[in-house]
Amino acid sequence: MNEYRWRDLSVGMQESFEATFTDAMSQTFAQLSGDVNPLHVDRDYAVAAGFPGPVLFGMLTSSLYSQLVGVYLPGKFALLQGIDIDFNAPCHAGERLAVHGEIIFLSDAYQRMEIKASIRKGDQKLVSKAIIRVGLHG
Amino acid sequence: MDNLLEEVQGIFRDVFDQPDLVISRASNARTVDDWDSLAHINLVTAIEKRYKIKFALGELQELKDVGDMLDLMRVKLASR
Repeated sequence: MNEYRWRDLSVGMQESFEATFTDAMSQTFAQLSGDVNPLHVDRDYAVAAGFPGPVLFGMLTSSLYSQLVGVYLPGKFALLQGIDIDFNAPCHAGERLAVHGEIIFLSDAYQRMEIKASIRKGDQKLVSKAIIRVGLHG
Repeated sequence: MDNLLEEVQGIFRDVFDQPDLVISRASNARTVDDWDSLAHINLVTAIEKRYKIKFALGELQELKDVGDMLDLMRVKLASR
């Protein structure tokens, strides 16, 4: 886990990592969130709707943005203060997802940063993109 | 309403998600609903980004209302 302090941060700093979700994770998310929409939990329904399998929840894949700020950029001292997400393409269990984030704005007065982030599949297809607002504690 | 106040009012409306919000130079955290500490940070950073100016914490702590903010912005904008 990174432990960047404000003095360590600069516009242009970047972090990346990869992750994969399983069907079991998606089922767990359905239980936790209460979102039991069949597109996400019923394989036959998803296939009939034209997808190769259940579509991963957008909010599940977007949880990787939490990992991005809480573990990588800035890491330990992060305070997630806001996030704007656009979803661009569906993705499915077993697909390798690449998460990337870059600091695009720093406001010294209240130690607030903005991170432009994205999640892409192995073929570089964009799954989602986000602008994340992060402060620091400690 | 002067142009800068009108522009800043648009930022307020966006930050507070209140499309009909009307602010004046006398508006402050006590007169605008939901103007809490996090909303204040959102306001300040939105203004910094929109006008490409930077505030120091000490400057912000001196502000009593929107009028003070507009005056500080004019100083910053004039010295860019």
